[in-house]
Amino acid sequence: MRKATSIARTPRDPAQRIWPKLLVGKHLCVISHFILRRKGGVRGCNTQGNVPNVGRLQEPTHEGRIRHISVARERAARSKPWVRQRPPAEATARAQRGRYRFTKDSVGQAPGALQLTFVGLDSRRTSCICFDAKSFRDLRVSGMVVAHRRGDEPDWEAGKCWLGTNGSFLDPRCVQESDNSMSVRTRNHKEDVWIPTSCGGCYAQCGIRAHRVDGVIVNLEGNPETPAGSGRICAKGTAQLMTLYDRHRINYPVKRTNPQKGVGVDPRWQRITWDEALDTIVAKLKGMKDHRGCYFQATTVQTSEIRFAVIAFMRAWGFKNYWVSGGGLWCGNGAHFMNGIMHAAWSIIPDWNYNNYTIYFGCSKGHGAGHAALQSAQWVADARARGMKAVVFDPFLSTQASKAHEWVPCRVGTDGAIALGMLNVILNELETWDARYLKLKTNAPYLIKPDQHYARDPKTNKPLVWDPADGKVKTFDDESIKDYALQGTYDVNGTKCRPSFDLLKDHVKANYPLDKVEEISSVPQATIRRVAQEFVEAAQIGSTITIDGKELPLRPAAAIFFRGSQGHVNSGWNCLEIDLLNQVVGAADVPGGAMGHGPPVSQGHPDTGKPDTVPYACEDGLMVVKGWVYDHKPYPLREPGPPKRLDLQDMFPCSVYNAFTVCTPEWEKYMEEFKIDYRPEIMVNFGSNSVMTMANAEEVTENFLKKFDFIFSFNIFQNEFTEAVADIVLPDTCFLERYTPCVTFPSTFCHPTGMDHWVWQIRQPVVEPLYERRDFNEVMLEISDRLDVKDKYYQAINDIIPVRYGGDMSPEYKLDPSGDYSWQEVCDRVLRDRLGSDKGLEALKKTGLEKWPTKVEEMYWRWFTPVRVPVYFEFFLESGKKLKKLLSSYGREDLADYRFYTPLAEWFPCPSHEEKNPEFDLWAFSWRPSFHTQSSTQNNPWLDEVSVNDPFVYLIQINAETGRKKGLKDHEVIWVENTDGKRIKGPVKLVEGMHPEQLGIAGCHGHWARGTPISRGKGQFFDDLINCDIKHTDSLTQGSDACAKVKIYKVNGSDSR
Amino acid sequence: MTRYGFVIDLKRCYGCYSCQVSCKAANHTPQGIDFARCVPSETGTYPSALRQMIPLICMQCAEPACMTVCPTGATTQDENGIVHVDKDLCMGCKYCIMACPYGARQTVGEWKTYFPDADGDLDPYESHAKAQWEEKRGFGVAAKCDYCMDRVEEGRQPACVDSCPAKARHFGDIEDPLSEVSILIRRERGFQLNPEFGTDPSCYYLPPR
Repeated sequence: MRKATSIARTPRDPAQRIWPKLLVGKHLCVISHFILRRKGGVRGCNTQGNVPNVGRLQEPTHEGRIRHISVARERAARSKPWVRQRPPAEATARAQRGRYRFTKDSVGQAPGALQLTFVGLDSRRTSCICFDAKSFRDLRVSGMVVAHRRGDEPDWEAGKCWLGTNGSFLDPRCVQESDNSMSVRTRNHKEDVWIPTSCGGCYAQCGIRAHRVDGVIVNLEGNPETPAGSGRICAKGTAQLMTLYDRHRINYPVKRTNPQKGVGVDPRWQRITWDEALDTIVAKLKGMKDHRGCYFQATTVQTSEIRFAVIAFMRAWGFKNYWVSGGGLWCGNGAHFMNGIMHAAWSIIPDWNYNNYTIYFGCSKGHGAGHAALQSAQWVADARARGMKAVVFDPFLSTQASKAHEWVPCRVGTDGAIALGMLNVILNELETWDARYLKLKTNAPYLIKPDQHYARDPKTNKPLVWDPADGKVKTFDDESIKDYALQGTYDVNGTKCRPSFDLLKDHVKANYPLDKVEEISSVPQATIRRVAQEFVEAAQIGSTITIDGKELPLRPAAAIFFRGSQGHVNSGWNCLEIDLLNQVVGAADVPGGAMGHGPPVSQGHPDTGKPDTVPYACEDGLMVVKGWVYDHKPYPLREPGPPKRLDLQDMFPCSVYNAFTVCTPEWEKYMEEFKIDYRPEIMVNFGSNSVMTMANAEEVTENFLKKFDFIFSFNIFQNEFTEAVADIVLPDTCFLERYTPCVTFPSTFCHPTGMDHWVWQIRQPVVEPLYERRDFNEVMLEISDRLDVKDKYYQAINDIIPVRYGGDMSPEYKLDPSGDYSWQEVCDRVLRDRLGSDKGLEALKKTGLEKWPTKVEEMYWRWFTPVRVPVYFEFFLESGKKLKKLLSSYGREDLADYRFYTPLAEWFPCPSHEEKNPEFDLWAFSWRPSFHTQSSTQNNPWLDEVSVNDPFVYLIQINAETGRKKGLKDHEVIWVENTDGKRIKGPVKLVEGMHPEQLGIAGCHGHWARGTPISRGKGQFFDDLINCDIKHTDSLTQGSDACAKVKIYKVNGSDSR
Repeated sequence: MTRYGFVIDLKRCYGCYSCQVSCKAANHTPQGIDFARCVPSETGTYPSALRQMIPLICMQCAEPACMTVCPTGATTQDENGIVHVDKDLCMGCKYCIMACPYGARQTVGEWKTYFPDADGDLDPYESHAKAQWEEKRGFGVAAKCDYCMDRVEEGRQPACVDSCPAKARHFGDIEDPLSEVSILIRRERGFQLNPEFGTDPSCYYLPPR
C-alpha cells in the first residue's frame, strides 16, 4: 500500500515565484519552517502523516537497510539540537520587516483589499498582509503548492489565505482556475510556440520541434509527425541548442591580419563589415587568372545545404573542383560506390522489421550511426527483443558489439577476407545459394570467356547465358529462356565458357581457404564457419512473405558494413565482398534482408509523381541509378580520360572523393605531369574542417591548403581550418536559423526501411539569425549577383533539380535566368514544383513536412524492378586497362595498382598488414562515439561534458593484458608512433573489450583551434597517424587507408612534447 | 493509488546519452548537474568482455532515505510516490545527498555556465535556464529528478522517455497491474537496482540479455 501523505500538489509554475520573493524573501521561509516544525506540521509526511521526526529515529518498517542509511540517519539525528534551535531574534526581525514592507508599499492600499491571514497548522492565524484577490490572481501566485493539514478546509471566504509549503500565499480559488498548468504558462509568456523543422546535428536530418519562449529556443525535441526520427531526438540533436547560442560562434565577418598561414598559427582576426568582406571576395574572384582554379570544399554534415549553392556556384562560375572534406577518410568512398552499384543506394541497412540475423562489419547502424539514426535504433531494439541475432566483427567492443549476441574480435581492415572466407563456406562447403535470385537478379549466369570477359552475342553484343533446358546459349534477356545455368562449362561458338557464378565459387575456394583467412584476420576458422552457416540458415532461402497483397521473398538475414570496413586500401572490395554474402542468399532489398538505404526507389508524391528515382537497366542488364548525388553515377563507370580537375579525381573510373594527390608534396608535380593548365587560386569552404578530417594536419595544410592564394570560408566556429588558412571567414547561420527546401531528399540517410511514409522535410529559421550571421545559400546568391553570373546560377539550379530530386521541373516553377529571386523564393519554387502548387514554403512552414505513404514496390523494389547487379565485375577489366593506358601516356603508371581492377572479389592487404618490423606491434584505428558528429560537435559543451564523463572517448584504449605486458597503467600518458615517426600522445585506458593487437582512438578529437576552447586539447587527434599517399590509397575508389601500424611507449619527462 | 515508476530496458539501451542530454535541456540543469545520468560499465575479460550502459535516475523510492534524513522537512513525497525538494525549506545541509544510495541528488551553489570565458555574461538560453532553475530548484539546496512532473501533468512523458531513440525507457504507474510498466516488470523479470538498500525503488530495470 502506498503511503498516504497530506501534501497535495498542484502544478508549479516557476515563473510565478517572483511574487513571494519580492514579498518577503527567504526570511518568511525560515519563519514558516519553524512555525510548522514546532507545531508538528505537515512537511515531509511519512506514513502516519506526521513529520518524519528527525530526532526520534523510527524503526525501519522492513528488514534489510544497509549501514550507510543508518549512518545518514545518525548524522541527521545528531543534527537534532541544531534543527530545533529557535531562529535568531534578528532573523525574525528581518522577516517581520520584510512582511511589513510589502504590506505598506505594494498591495496594501489596493481597493477592496482582503485581509490575508497566515495560518499556522494548529489553526493559529497570524494576520499580516492585506491585498485584493484580483491583484493576487494577476500576480499569478496561483499554482503554488498548498500545504494544509488533512481535515483542514480552506477558509477563503473569510478572507484568509493559506501558507504554501514553499512560503508562498495561496488563494485556493486561483488554484482551481489555473489547474491546467499549460494554459497558465502560456498566459504567462508573451510567446510560447513549438516550431517544426529538421535537425542538422548530423546527416540523418531527423524531424524535430523547437520550443521557443519569448524569442529564445529553450528546448529541442523530436517531431512525432515524421518517420525520419519518429519523434525522438538524440544527444547530438538536443545539444545543438548550445551550438545556437554558443559563445564561441562567429558573429561577424572577420579577416586575417597575420599573413602567415599554417597549423596552429594565430590568424589575428579583425572584424570587418559584410560589405567589405563581399567586396574583397568578389574582387578576388573577378581577378582570377582562370575561373577553373576555384575549389569548393564542403562539409558532409549539412548534406542538404550543399546541394544548391555549391553545385550552382560551381556551374555559374565555371569550375569543377569540389570535394567534401573528410570524404576520403571519414565518409564512405568504397561504401557509397559499391552500394550504388549493388543497391542503387548510398548505404545499406538491414530490414529490421523482419530481420533475424545481422552480421556487422565495422559499422554501428542502429546504434547511433547517422543512418536513419533514431528509427533504426528503435527498430534494431525491437528486433533484438524479438530475438534477432547480431554478430559483430570489430577490433573492439563497440556500441553495436556490446549489444550483439556475439562479438568476434578481428584485425582492422580484414573484413573483406572474412567475408570471402564465409563465401567460401557458403558456396563450397554448405553449397547453398538462392539460385532464383542469382539467375534473375544478378549477372551470375552470364557466360565468361577464358579472357575473363562476357561471351557476347555477335549480333546484339548482349551477354550470353546458357539455357540448360534448351541446351543452348541465349542472350540474357531472351524471352524464351526457361532456365539459366550457374555452373558448368559450355561451348559458345567453339570457346569454352563458364557462368560467372562458377568462377566466383572456384575463386573463393582456391584463394580464400579458412586457414588463410584465419591467418589474415585472427578469427578462428570454426567461428567463420559457424557464422556462415548460421547466416545461411537464417536467410531461409525459398521462404516468402505477403505484404500488401504482394508475395515477396523473405530473407531475414543481412551482412552490413560501413566506415570500419571501407576505411582501408581495399575500401571498395571490402564492401563488395561483404555485400556478396547478401547477394548469394538473395537477401537484397527484400523483406528481412539488406536494404538499399534511402530507400533508393521512389515513385514520387501522389500529386506530382516527383521525385521519381526508379533505377533502370543498361544494355548489359545491369542496374543504373536514376538520381544520384555526386558527379557521376556509380555505374557505368566514369571513362578514364585526361583530368580536368586539380585533384585529378576525374581521371579515375570509380573515385568518389579522393585525397592522395592533393595532400602530398608532389601535387604541383602531378598537375604538371597531367598537363593541368591552370593552378589553384581560390578556395570556397562551407563548414568543413579539412585540416582535421583528411589526414596528417601538417601535410594537408602545407601540401594542399596553402597552395591557394585566397580562401574564404563559411563557418559557425573558428576551427583548425579557418585559423590555419582562411583569409576571410563569414559568419554562417546554424541549421536553426535558416531555410532549406529539401532536407530528406535525395534520400540518402533519412528514411528508415520498411513500410511507412515518405517524408519531405524543410528547415526553417526558428529564430532570426543572431548578430550578423547570414545564411550560406543567401550569401552565395548575393556573391553570384555581384559577379554578374546570377543567370547562370539560376540556370544551374534548374539543371540540378531534375537530377538530384528525380523528375523534370514544371516550366512555371523554373527560375527565370533574368529574374531576381531571394533564397526563400527559390525554396518556395522548388517545393511547389516537387510537391504541388499548394505546398509552397508558407504551407510547409506550418507542419515542417509533407508525407505520403510508401508502396511495397518502392520499399522492396528489387523484384519489381527489372535490373540485375553484378557478382562478377567484368567492367572493371576494361576500366583498369583504360586507366593503365591513360596513366602510362603521362608516364605515371605507378599511380594505381591494377590488380584491383579484377572481375572477381579479392582482398588486398593494407600497408599496415604488410609491416614486418616487430617493434610496431599494434594496429591503430579510430572509432566514432555515437554522440559526436565528425569534427563538428566536440566544442559543444553538453557533448563535451558527456565525453569527459565517458571512460573511453578521450582515452587511448588498448587491451588490458597487452597493456600490462608493456607495464602500463590506466591513465598513464603514452606516445603512439607510426612507422613514419609521426606520433600522438595521450592517456591510455586498459580495457577488456579490445583485440590484443589493436589500439583504438576516438576520431576527430584533440582540437587545438583558439575558436573552440571547450574541445581544445581533449582527446587525441588520430589523423596525425595517417599518411595520405598513393601507398595508402585504394586504387579502385581512391579512399584513404585509416589504419596504421604503431608502437607505444611511455612519455618521459624530456620527451613530453 | 498511483505510484509513478520507471522501467529501463537494458536490452534496448545502447548508451547514446540521449536521456542525459534531453533531461538537461528539459530541466535546464547547470553545468555538472545531470538528473538522468549514464554510467558505462565493462565487465568480464577478453574476449568475453561485456559493456553495458547503466542509465541512472532518481529511483523515487517508496522508503526514501533522503526524506528520512531531511532535517528540515524540505523533502516531501507526493501521493504518487514522487519525492520533491522544497527549495525554500531546504537549507543545503546535503544529508540527503549523502543518504541517497543511488547518487540521485545533487546541489549547486550558484549557476555554473558552460561558457566560463564569457565573464558571467549569459547567453539567452542560459539566462532562461538560470531563471528556470532558480525558480524551480534553487541554488545551495538539494536538487533532484521529479520524473518531469510538470510534463506529466501536461499529459506528456518525462523528457528522457520522449527522447530515447531505442525506446528503452518506460514511464507509468507501477501499482496499476495493467499498466505497461507493470506488465514489463512482470513479464521481463524487472529488477530494482540494489534492493538490499531497502528503499524500495520505483525504478525497475530489465535485464540486458
